[in-house]
Amino acid sequence: MVASLLTAQGLNKQFRSGSQPVSVFRNLSLQLDRGESLALTGRSGSGKSTLLNILCGLEQPNTGSVQVLDEVFEGDTDRQAEARWANLRRQQIGVVFQEANLMPALSLLDNVRLRARLAGRNEDDCRDWLERLGIGELSGRFPDQVSGGQRQRAALAMVFAMNPALILADEPTGSLDRHTAEDVTGQLFDLQARHGCGLVLATHDVELATRCSHHLDLGHLPET
Amino acid sequence: MTCFSQPLRWGLTALVLGLTACSETPESAGFAGLGEQVRGETFAQPARGDRLRFPEDFGPHPRHRIEWWYLTANLTTEQGEPLGLQWTQFRQALEARDPGGPEPEPGTWPLDAAWMAHAAVSFQGQHWFSEKLARGGIGQAGATAEPFEVWLDDWHMRVEDDGRWRLQVSGEGWSYDLRVTIEGEPVAHGGDGFSPKSASGEGSMYFSLVDLAIEGEVTLGGQTFEVSGQGWFDREWSSQFLKAGQQGWDWFALHLESGDKLMMFRLREAGGDFLSGTWVTPEREVIPLGADTMTLEVVEQRDTADGNVPVQWHIHIPGRQADFDVSAPQGQYWNDGLFPYWESPVSVTGSHQGEGYMELTGY
Amino acid sequence: MTVFSALLSHYRRHPLQLLALALMIVLATMLWTGVSHLTDRARASLAQSERAIAGQQELVREDGQSVSVQDFAYLRRQGLCVMPWLEVERPAPEGRVIGVDPFASACFGNEAPGQARVDALNGEPFLDIAEAAEMVRQGSDGQLSLLVPVDVEANAVPAAFRLKDFSMGPATGELGESFLLNLDALGVLVLLITALLVRSVYQLGLVQRRESFALLRRFGVPAARVQVLLLIEMVALTSVCVIPGIWLGRLLAEILGGGFGQVLESLFDAPLYAVAGDGFVLPALVMVSVVLLACFADKRLLLRLPWLSGRQSVLWFGVPVLGLGLAMVAWPFILGWLYVGIALVFVAVGLLTPRVLSHVAQWGVEGAGAITLWQRRELAVLFRRLALPVVALQFAVAMVLAVQALVTTFEDAFEQWLAQRLEAEFYVEVPAQSAVEDGVRYLESLSGLGDWHLVQRGTTRVVPEMAGDDAATSVEVDLFSISPIGPLVTGWTLLDATPDAWEKLAAGQGVMVNEQLARRQEYQPGDPIGFALGEQTLALPVVGVYADYGRPEGEILVAGQILPDTFNTRFQSLSLNPGTLAMAEIEQGLATVWNTDQLTVRDNSSIRSLASEVFDQTFLITRAITVLTLVLAGTSLLVMGWVFFTTRAWYYRLLFVWGLSRREVAGQLRWLAMFLTGAVAVAALPLGVWLTWTLVSRINPLAFGWSLPMAVYPGFWLEMLVLCLAIGLAIAVLMRRQLGAGVAAPAVANVSGGGER
Repeated sequence: MVASLLTAQGLNKQFRSGSQPVSVFRNLSLQLDRGESLALTGRSGSGKSTLLNILCGLEQPNTGSVQVLDEVFEGDTDRQAEARWANLRRQQIGVVFQEANLMPALSLLDNVRLRARLAGRNEDDCRDWLERLGIGELSGRFPDQVSGGQRQRAALAMVFAMNPALILADEPTGSLDRHTAEDVTGQLFDLQARHGCGLVLATHDVELATRCSHHLDLGHLPET
Repeated sequence: MTCFSQPLRWGLTALVLGLTACSETPESAGFAGLGEQVRGETFAQPARGDRLRFPEDFGPHPRHRIEWWYLTANLTTEQGEPLGLQWTQFRQALEARDPGGPEPEPGTWPLDAAWMAHAAVSFQGQHWFSEKLARGGIGQAGATAEPFEVWLDDWHMRVEDDGRWRLQVSGEGWSYDLRVTIEGEPVAHGGDGFSPKSASGEGSMYFSLVDLAIEGEVTLGGQTFEVSGQGWFDREWSSQFLKAGQQGWDWFALHLESGDKLMMFRLREAGGDFLSGTWVTPEREVIPLGADTMTLEVVEQRDTADGNVPVQWHIHIPGRQADFDVSAPQGQYWNDGLFPYWESPVSVTGSHQGEGYMELTGY
Repeated sequence: MTVFSALLSHYRRHPLQLLALALMIVLATMLWTGVSHLTDRARASLAQSERAIAGQQELVREDGQSVSVQDFAYLRRQGLCVMPWLEVERPAPEGRVIGVDPFASACFGNEAPGQARVDALNGEPFLDIAEAAEMVRQGSDGQLSLLVPVDVEANAVPAAFRLKDFSMGPATGELGESFLLNLDALGVLVLLITALLVRSVYQLGLVQRRESFALLRRFGVPAARVQVLLLIEMVALTSVCVIPGIWLGRLLAEILGGGFGQVLESLFDAPLYAVAGDGFVLPALVMVSVVLLACFADKRLLLRLPWLSGRQSVLWFGVPVLGLGLAMVAWPFILGWLYVGIALVFVAVGLLTPRVLSHVAQWGVEGAGAITLWQRRELAVLFRRLALPVVALQFAVAMVLAVQALVTTFEDAFEQWLAQRLEAEFYVEVPAQSAVEDGVRYLESLSGLGDWHLVQRGTTRVVPEMAGDDAATSVEVDLFSISPIGPLVTGWTLLDATPDAWEKLAAGQGVMVNEQLARRQEYQPGDPIGFALGEQTLALPVVGVYADYGRPEGEILVAGQILPDTFNTRFQSLSLNPGTLAMAEIEQGLATVWNTDQLTVRDNSSIRSLASEVFDQTFLITRAITVLTLVLAGTSLLVMGWVFFTTRAWYYRLLFVWGLSRREVAGQLRWLAMFLTGAVAVAALPLGVWLTWTLVSRINPLAFGWSLPMAVYPGFWLEMLVLCLAIGLAIAVLMRRQLGAGVAAPAVANVSGGGER
């Protein structure tokens, strides 16, 4: 059997609120193959960001297993598991947050190069990625010298420059105006399709969610 | 007299102690205990039976620890306004010395005794006061019995060729120059000169000249007044100070219009005050007054800058048919020196009329 | 919810920031209060001591006889306010004491010379005149003067006397002034460091709260209103924090003050007095003003100074100022000029350092790999964003380096000098009534005795006319004679000398002068010097200049053979090495020939320890202030660094998101923090060395009359570096804990206005 790109099974996540454990989600499972996209929706606090964090190893579930490419994580929290997760994030998983994806002390181009370098990719393509995202002429600017939309485009350039297998995007256009948001998401879907990588997208935007091949509403998960 | 006024001695003793033994701070020792800390173990102690000797007793008593020369005057200006004045010179010894023995060499700047002089004038409700200090043994201050002289710097009281005493004092912006005619013999207190200061027998040698005719000049703020009137002179010396628990002193020297003179004092202490006095009749018969023969009561207090002071008193001596009030004039009469005390002229009203001086310490 | 409580709610969520701000204000207040309390005390003491030695007059007899106690009593009985002043010179280490009569000084009121109050009569230097008279009786040299208040006029003086100006000691005027100026400069530096620290914390707070400000602005609150509220908030916070700060500062000063009293006594013969008016109001006002100025001055002031606002213009302004300051210090005319120069250098260095470090951090980074690039760029940002605490720490470290070098140099020079001076093993004072010749004859008769010589001391007067010297002025100086000139002294290191200096000195063909006199009168070897010896005056060439630390007086060294019999010797002693003989035996022999049973004999080590004690005390306060400043600056950099790193925690976490392991991220943080603080130490080094040079080669000669060799102590540099690195490590450790917890995303970058870069 060919392993899927991303599989999560029986994920449970609880937080402690005082002495009471509060469940974020229970027994959550999902599967994603290359070229597919999954929209995560749900109201604030429904666990979208938590789930994304679990899917890239920044947080650990209480129970359940996660598999990314060949790596399987089943409640491992040791240093070795941490190293495997770090390796995945470095080379295979691109993460895009709502904002502040760039190092403020580096120019847009240097940010992209840093990301590519960490992933072990060729730094030469970096400028091209900025060009392709329409901000080539801004490559020497610093993050605080460009607009929010341009920063998010640069963030996408960083992700694609590392040529990831999986992209995790947490409200990537949440802080942008509608027009710019559409522009940026258009490019995201476009590139994702062209490169055949997986995309997990946490969003409030129902319209955006419908553009994904799968949809998981964390606000309406079955209790079992 | 003045004083067994501890505060004065206290101030002087503090100064002297500061010089000689810096380790003992005056604050840490009760004033009544101070005597024990002064060095020199061979001070002579007055006792009942000691006799006065003249003229030697007008001079210093180097075997005793503390002594003073004290003069008060109730005078009148040419315009008839009352004017009171006071002069006191203290000697505080640090070491006892035999009167016949060698005196310390002045070149060594000896510190066997310290001298302090106070002078004050009270006029029209105002009070002028000045204080001077000197070490003994170098000639800056001293006293001799014959010819009689007591001096500190340019202040002095001394006998002149005409037999009268001359008292010259000058303070900041004021001065006086008086001639004192002495009438009558010295009055020995306590019968023969030993004046008890507590029920347990401690006391001092004490005599007074109660008939002094005084005239002279008093200059206050550039204005000179010719003055005349009567005065009172005290000599007192001792070595043993007051007992612990004695808080202060109220002392009166009164000239009554009947020709009687009264010296009376009260030592305030926790377990009951010690009251004593001397009544001198117009015929100059001297009658010691015991505590059970008289009463002394405060009639009125005055709020002053340095606290409440009893300024009106009631004195009742049934044996002498004396029942009168003694009161200070309006004003504040603090001698604000190293250690402040109250020194004011007083007037007498009641069974007797008269004037005099009042000294209050420890308030 | 009011706007104000909305503004304050930030601190409810971030109590650590409030704590940091409060802590910084408390520490800064404590530091400044401590230092200013100490300097105030020093100032009061010096003022007292100045009053004690300045502007008095005395009465002298018309017939030229010296005044006596009888004259005193006579004058007092004439009604004059006169006080006796018996100055007794004793050989070191006791030195000069002054006998006064507190009874007699009462008429001087508060103007009594030496404030001769009873509680001040502790022998330092005032004591009761009877005790001083006793010293004179036992042989010390004493001089009685009769002082009168300055307002006494000639017509008030009795016939046989006349008024004369009275000078009560060495001219310490400039010395005292310099000492105060030094303390003041130190105080100003501390205040500057304080202001830098407060400002940095405040600015950091602003950056952290920009979200709140943006929100308030969006809700329609005018920016000016927010400003006013911030002002109120700072006033309130400062007012609360200065109270414990002042209290702690006082406490500190009191703890240090005990030692300080001895410092002043040893330096100036002045007892330490308590300072009146220890109110809280003034220090509180100063601190509130400094805090407000530090926090809000730029709003009104700095923006109007265009040359300070631009990045490039900092260089244009800083470099010339630095040059000017350096030049002023290199060629100082007067002490004030020198201090202005130092101030300029500090201003320029403060402006330039963050820029320079920032540039250096990015130096040659262009071809570097992406990670190196990030490291360097991040470091550059840190230098710029943490400019104020960085400069504060730099100043503090430089100050510590300089003071340490000064103190250590002095200690070494002093030790060396002491070792030369204390060549002999024993020092025997010649009793006052004894004939020194008997002792000398006795020593000459001994066989087996080691090296020895006779020391005689007195005073003399430089008579420039004798030597045809127009530049010199007639001054009183100490005279120091040795006979025979032998191995005990010829080993001295001379600062400057003619060939055969010792031989010429021994032959009576020349004299030596101490550095103070040489500097003051500009004597060089070969110059003639005229001076009085008893009733004769001599002119001899200066053959050597020797170091003579720790006192302002000039001194002439001559061979004992040229001293005439009429010379008024104030003190005589024999320095000797017993050789093969027992010291007890020599002592016994001397006691017999001098017919005394009270022989004062000191051994080398006891004198040495006495001298060292005095020395330690002298620098106690300087050390304490510098260490305190270092602690404060270090703490502030730690707190600031930590808080600032926290604002960038998101970005460090990005590294983690991008696949660096925790360990790698921690390593990056460690590198950043330690490089930051290490660079501060390195940047402080040139400033510290320059400051050291300024202290030993510029301030000391101008202020004290003697200079010190310039020395550097790389071992101590290393210590400072290690300390700074430890601070960096501490920041990194704290950050690592911080990253372990969840990290909030930073505010939208465009709100910061570039604050993150």
